[in-house]
Amino acid sequence: MSRYAMVLDPARCVDCKACMVACTAENDVEVGYHRNWVRAAVKGSFPELSMHIEPGQCMHCDDPPCVRSCPTGASYINEAGGIVGVDEKKCIGCRYCMLACPYDARYFDEESGIVGKCTFCDHRLALGQEPACVETCPTKVRVFGDLDDPDSEVSRLMRTRNTEKRLAHAGTAPNLNYIID
Amino acid sequence: MSDNSRFSVTRRGFLGTSACTLAGLTLTGCESGGLRFFSDAEASEPGAGGSYEKFSVCANCVNKCGIKAKVVAGRLKKLDPNPHFPKSRSMLCAKGQAGVQVLYDKDRLKHPLIRTGPRGSGQFRQASWEEALDHVAEGLAKIRDKYGASSVLFSSTEGLQEHFFREFSAAFGSANHVRHPSLCLASGNVGFFSVFGTVPAFDVANTQYMIFSGANRLESFITPDTIDLVDVLEKKKAKLVYLDPRYTVTASKADTWLPIKPGTDLAFYLALIHVLITEELYDKDFVARYTIGFDEVAAGIAGNTPEWAEQECGVPARQIREIAREFAYHAPRSFIYKGRRTSWTTNDTPMRQAMAIANALVGNWDREGGLVPKQSLRKGEVDLDVWPPLPDQDCIVSMEEKHPLANAGDGTYLDFREKVMLDEPYPIRGWFVYKQNPMHSLPDRGLTRRMIDKMEFVVVTDIMPTDTAWLADVILPESSYLEREDPVVGFQDPYPFLSMRNKVVDPVHDTKPNFEIMQELSRRLGFPEFFDYKIKAMQRAQLEPFGLEPESLEATGMWSDRKERTYGKSLKEGYRFRTPSGKIELASERFRRRGYNPVPVYEPQDAIPGNQFKLLVGKNAYFTHASNQNNPWLHELMPDNGLWLNSKPAAQRGISNGDIVRVKSAVGEVEVRAIVTERIRPDCVHLPHGFDHISPLMSRVHGAGACDSDLLISREDHISGNAALHETLVTVERIGDGKEVHA
Repeated sequence: MSRYAMVLDPARCVDCKACMVACTAENDVEVGYHRNWVRAAVKGSFPELSMHIEPGQCMHCDDPPCVRSCPTGASYINEAGGIVGVDEKKCIGCRYCMLACPYDARYFDEESGIVGKCTFCDHRLALGQEPACVETCPTKVRVFGDLDDPDSEVSRLMRTRNTEKRLAHAGTAPNLNYIID
Repeated sequence: MSDNSRFSVTRRGFLGTSACTLAGLTLTGCESGGLRFFSDAEASEPGAGGSYEKFSVCANCVNKCGIKAKVVAGRLKKLDPNPHFPKSRSMLCAKGQAGVQVLYDKDRLKHPLIRTGPRGSGQFRQASWEEALDHVAEGLAKIRDKYGASSVLFSSTEGLQEHFFREFSAAFGSANHVRHPSLCLASGNVGFFSVFGTVPAFDVANTQYMIFSGANRLESFITPDTIDLVDVLEKKKAKLVYLDPRYTVTASKADTWLPIKPGTDLAFYLALIHVLITEELYDKDFVARYTIGFDEVAAGIAGNTPEWAEQECGVPARQIREIAREFAYHAPRSFIYKGRRTSWTTNDTPMRQAMAIANALVGNWDREGGLVPKQSLRKGEVDLDVWPPLPDQDCIVSMEEKHPLANAGDGTYLDFREKVMLDEPYPIRGWFVYKQNPMHSLPDRGLTRRMIDKMEFVVVTDIMPTDTAWLADVILPESSYLEREDPVVGFQDPYPFLSMRNKVVDPVHDTKPNFEIMQELSRRLGFPEFFDYKIKAMQRAQLEPFGLEPESLEATGMWSDRKERTYGKSLKEGYRFRTPSGKIELASERFRRRGYNPVPVYEPQDAIPGNQFKLLVGKNAYFTHASNQNNPWLHELMPDNGLWLNSKPAAQRGISNGDIVRVKSAVGEVEVRAIVTERIRPDCVHLPHGFDHISPLMSRVHGAGACDSDLLISREDHISGNAALHETLVTVERIGDGKEVHA
């Protein structure tokens, strides 16, 4: 079995948005929608300032409310790796999942009438490639891998760095981990 | 770009001797690019509807990073980074990823266009290549016959097919060809060249201490520096001191951000040198062995104490001392970074020279973690044994008189425009523009517009219907970097290697590579012998010295005979630096001979009047100059721009975030949304470059935001002639809230 996860280091992120455009290209995401994002926040007054930059996307939760809220079973957890997916054949576009997701990680594609979201580029994983956002990142903010493999880079980082999860109190057990040290 | 592609061949040697290039100082303009190529085992031919992968080289900015193109059923599906590529390694930025839309954007130029209505009316008709090329040849010949060949001005920007255009202008017989470096990094090059006789790379990956002035490397990417910079900062292997009136992303990652008064960086560096010398922190052995001019520098900076500098630049004297000491402590694993920006003030070259001098004083030259002279692989050439005619006239700008230390072959753009407007010393009535958009890249867009009105015939070759193309008589659509083959490219950073740009797919529209355009026009104009070869033959000739064939590069998309950066060659006994003395010149003999101060001298900056702001230019990571704001995947990241204005002066003027303001300078005014922010000094404003395109054919950014070139006044650095873009003062007034104006 695999348990896919990411470890992200916001200190390395420069808000260049290469990950967003790579995802658009890789997954044919229509202009106007994105499956991932980079957010920057500046605090303080000139000249005492700080900036926090952080990328995000579907957290591929272990207990995803999007899956629980889906009336048709379109949203599901893929047993192989724990990737949260949307079965396009079953999705009726009701958007309950979008309301349920605390991360606002899904969008409704008006063209296709179904919900879109990050897939961890599972089609690339099948070819032994990394997700497009991971591969293209100029400063290597994201590390992707299998937490069930103790020798993987994500496992090593989880052992050696202090990390936290976003909106942990929402209780969804997300699989994106942000380095904080 | 680095290399010698411009002067690389015996045949190409002629470019160095045209009328504009008498000074013959072959400063490298920018660093240079590479090539591309490669196909995998199951490759099918481009355009055959096949599916395959190919290595190639990006062209969405000057870096030329390595890419791997995935083509499915004849259509480019995706661009991935080429992990084998030493310069960019496994990265591709947003601009590179958006390269797919360079091919498929509905707005791109799809066929030749000939203007049918008044200039600026937008009335064009589609033409065949035969007709368009005939029309261009006739138009150029008409100007040549009426006024002389030099009455056609040629201008161009770097790229792997630019040198064909330069050969074309020389073969045509024009003395007037102006390139981009005087809108780019000319002053930095002249400054560093004066000291070291070359323009070095910076060993970011191995350094411990860096000082950057306005080099916003985390938003204005240069590979591999950007990659290495984030890595050494995040791992706390190195410290960064960053001087910039704006709080950029680079500022946010720096250990120390100094929001310096704009244009006063030279005061900071002179004081830093003052501390190095008076506290004897410099490397005495290095200075004695490798340099001349120490005493002159020491005398020159005698009055430039940190206390004096604090008055000028606003950085506390105590902090200048600390920085100087730390810089010296970490030497040779420390450096002051050159940057690649335009000039800021008319005294910019001495500022860059001072940076170079401070580097030399601490002995970080050609050492790990310091400054590293670039090395190249010497490519072969196609030897055609043809020589261009002597131009019928002298160049309209006498570089020898005006900017004898600038790269004469590049020219100085603002001087050219001034001479054209004055019809001095003779009229320029034709303009052939390749891969350049002077309507955005020159300060004072109104003046550039009037310059175009002086012309009887304007031709633009580009891939997009730019604002300059919009005003042309004929638009020639070039095949993009994904649809053509380019010559072999040599890279220098982090170590010398070769690459090639492959044709990834067949041209999507009725376009031609510039090389073919030059071939066709040269045939019509009577000098076909200059282009009487094929790109493939050129590639073979270029690779021959290495025992390589174009196919040799297919496996990894690059080739090199080394694996890492090396150091110390120029420190060996008997090495002569390319300076008049053969040594590192702390006091420049080259400058002295030309009547300039041999050591940098500060010119005080006028105080910014209380009711005005200094306008700062700058970039972000989504766009290259004004070239790709219209790309649909980049456009959605930032659909327009706004004026950065500090919250304090905004409050005084009753301006809230999102309000529409009128910004006025001595040459123009714009109306734009205000972005009220803490991220800029209260006496400065900033307008991101590259918006408000006048061409309606750029459908997404036509009229979007405001254009900094409408406001920028025309000033140039005295020595290099580089456009000085931080000399403009503006007023800002509220004219309404966003809704009112947009409604």
